[in-house]
Amino acid sequence: MLRAAQSLGKPGSFGGPSTTSDLSIDEELVLHTIGWEPVELVTGVSIYSVPAGVWNWGSGEIVSASSAHLQAFAGAVKRIHAECARVGGHGVVGVEVERSVTRHHITVELTGTAVRPVADTASSKRYPVFVSDLPAKDFTLLETAGWRPLGLAYGASFIYAPRRSAGTAIQQKGQNIELTNYTEAMYSARELAMERMQEVAIALKGTGVVDVKVTEGPMHFARHAIGFTTWGTVVALTADHHRTIEPVVLVALDDASAAFDASSLRG
Amino acid sequence: MTSVPDDVPEAAGRRFQSGAFTSGLTVPDFAACLQMGLEPVGYVQGFCVMQWGWYGAGSPYLRGTTPYGGTHGQYSESWRCPHGYVSADHRTWGQNYEQAWVENAWGQGFGTAYTRMIEEATSIGAHGVIGLVDTTASLGEMGVLEFHVRGTAVKVSGGPPPPDGRPWTTYLAGQRLAKLVEAGYMPISIAAAVSSIRVWAYCVTEYLMEGRAYSWGAQVNGAEIDQVAKAHMAARQVAREHVRAQLHGDSLHGAAIVVSERELSEGDQVVECTLRGNRVRRFKDFDPLARPRPTLRLS
Repeated sequence: MLRAAQSLGKPGSFGGPSTTSDLSIDEELVLHTIGWEPVELVTGVSIYSVPAGVWNWGSGEIVSASSAHLQAFAGAVKRIHAECARVGGHGVVGVEVERSVTRHHITVELTGTAVRPVADTASSKRYPVFVSDLPAKDFTLLETAGWRPLGLAYGASFIYAPRRSAGTAIQQKGQNIELTNYTEAMYSARELAMERMQEVAIALKGTGVVDVKVTEGPMHFARHAIGFTTWGTVVALTADHHRTIEPVVLVALDDASAAFDASSLRG
Repeated sequence: MTSVPDDVPEAAGRRFQSGAFTSGLTVPDFAACLQMGLEPVGYVQGFCVMQWGWYGAGSPYLRGTTPYGGTHGQYSESWRCPHGYVSADHRTWGQNYEQAWVENAWGQGFGTAYTRMIEEATSIGAHGVIGLVDTTASLGEMGVLEFHVRGTAVKVSGGPPPPDGRPWTTYLAGQRLAKLVEAGYMPISIAAAVSSIRVWAYCVTEYLMEGRAYSWGAQVNGAEIDQVAKAHMAARQVAREHVRAQLHGDSLHGAAIVVSERELSEGDQVVECTLRGNRVRRFKDFDPLARPRPTLRLS
């Protein structure tokens, strides 16, 4: 600390480029260990309109809502990708994904830190700019194992839960019974959304998708409509082979249980 | 000890001279700071209560008044209606613009509270202020905001006072501050700014926000709401540029970004973005730690 404080009075010779980042100090240190550094805080936002009336009763998929979600996600990814490329980043890590689905529009907001290798070598430029929601620690672990993130994959589907007939509804009243119309709608939405996410992963030439997040359930403004949205980071093996990480096994020797528990005296 | 600036309340000046130090540090942070050679000298604070006048009568938020009045910032973008004359209340133009007067007022409130805290720290001979916390709270009355900035003033054992006499500041304390210094960065100051983008929706934005397709042009079902998306992007970019202007070539670390939107009428809204973080300066060459060894804990 003393050396750091004394440096304030001296002309700086370690300046380097000015950067901005939302990484924690732990994340920055762990990025440094693999020779990467933050460049700039970058964002991408897209808002898509959902036509009026699409959430009313119907059957099958609510195509315009599913499409609006996919387009909003794609638009936000495109913008954060462009910001990253503009500031000279090789990828964006720790992307925070915020979404909102309302009756008339769907918003996707992405915020993360563009990063790059400290030594800008030809080999480091071999891969396209990526966008990943993996935190810097996970990115480091992935890189250590010979893998690399390629981008964000996402999928969504909104499905009408078919109405029960009046007779069925009356018949089922007061019974403990599965509402198969809702269950089937959830399965349908899940299948379409997951398939779309995998299509994005294949388009990015990825091997798979890690850290997949899922949200599902009825829309708060239209309880008969089931939404399923999912996203994750597409990864691919870039080393010749997977490098096995052999963790050091730690066994804590401290005794977790208290030697004397005062509460036992209370009977 | 530095002389007490005029702006520090007399009672606070007496209290700081009394001998016992105060600190906002937790015990682990306190221990870590002592380990680093930092001695707490006082818990310093600054307040500023601002009235935000632009919500009242005559506010430029009222539709029908010209959007071109007032002080604009650098960002401004406009849209034209594709329909031609339709009716008197048809929104034939739309504009996004940066509300510099909102940004300046926020900067004045935050900056004044911060400066008052720095004056307290200077008065007790502090070299820096760590573990900063800043809060903004509504005082209940419409448009009255309280800015409160506080932190623990410290001295570097055996260290020189800051070259310009102004203590350095950081949101970090304890172990996180120790790791920042280990990474080769010296805290310089906190950096914070707000951006405010006013959206005057034109007809297409208004229709899209309501899920309507407009019937005089092409079908726009499922289209991107370009004007609002651009306002959101601009709010983030302008806030980043404002903070960048405070860095003077240094870097921003540990940034936190908060975006809020407030709808004023159909399609019309204000998007605000607050960005804050630690301005840091590298004081040694890039010197990474060894690759970490993964561990697996058995319990």
